[in-house]
Amino acid sequence: MVNATKKWIFLKVSSVILIPLMLWFIINLVSIYEKDYIGIVSFFTTQPSKFLTSLLMIVAFFYSSLSISEIFEDYIHDEKIKNIANKLLYILFIIIPLITIMVLFNLNI
Amino acid sequence: MENKNPLSPHIQIYSWNISSLISISHRIIGVINILALTLICLWITLLLLGETNYEYIKFFLQSFLGKFLILCLTWSFSFQMLSEIRHLFWDFGYGFELMTSKITGLIVIFGSFVLTILIYLIGKQII
Repeated sequence: MVNATKKWIFLKVSSVILIPLMLWFIINLVSIYEKDYIGIVSFFTTQPSKFLTSLLMIVAFFYSSLSISEIFEDYIHDEKIKNIANKLLYILFIIIPLITIMVLFNLNI
Repeated sequence: MENKNPLSPHIQIYSWNISSLISISHRIIGVINILALTLICLWITLLLLGETNYEYIKFFLQSFLGKFLILCLTWSFSFQMLSEIRHLFWDFGYGFELMTSKITGLIVIFGSFVLTILIYLIGKQII
C-alpha cells in the first residue's frame, strides 16, 4: 500500500473516532467550565472522563498532525522548510498530548 | 532541484461559492480547534498548581470573555463535526452532485449554529 493511501486511511479512521469524542467533550466542557477547582478536578480524575479525555487528546493530535501536514504540502513550496515544519509538528503533537495524559493520571483532589 | 509546481488552492483567484467557503473554513477551523485543544491541555496541566492558583483561571472562565470563548469553541467544534460528517459521506461516494453539495454546505453552516445552541442547552442541563 502506498504511503499516501495509508495516510488517508489513518485520517479517515481517526475522524470517525474523533466526531463522537468531540461531541462528548464539548457537552461536558460546557457543563464544567464554570465550576470550582474541586469540580473540575473531580471531572478529570474520575472514569470514564479520564479515559475519554486521554483518548480525545491522542486521536485529535494524531488527526491534526496528518491534516496540518497536508496544509504544509499545499502551501509550503520549499522542501527543506516543509520537512523541518513536519518534524517540528510531529514532535510537538506527540509531546502535548503525552504531557496532558501524564497530568490526568497524576491529578488528585 | 527547486519545485516549480504551483501552490494550491488558489483561494485568491477562484470565485467564492458555498463549497470553497466550507472547504477553506474547514481547514482554518481545524487549525483553530487544535490550538484551542492545546489551550485546554494547558488548562488541565495548570490544575497541578493547586486550588489557590486556579482562582485566576476560574475568574477568567466565569467572565463574559470566558463564556464567549467557550461559546465560540462550541461553534467551531460543531462546524468541524458537521463538515467532517459531510467529508465522510463524500468518501463513501455520496453527495457529489452540485445541488446536493450546495445543500449539504448550507446544512453545515446553519446546522453548526443550531448544534451550538443544542450543545449549550444540553451542557447547561436546560434540556
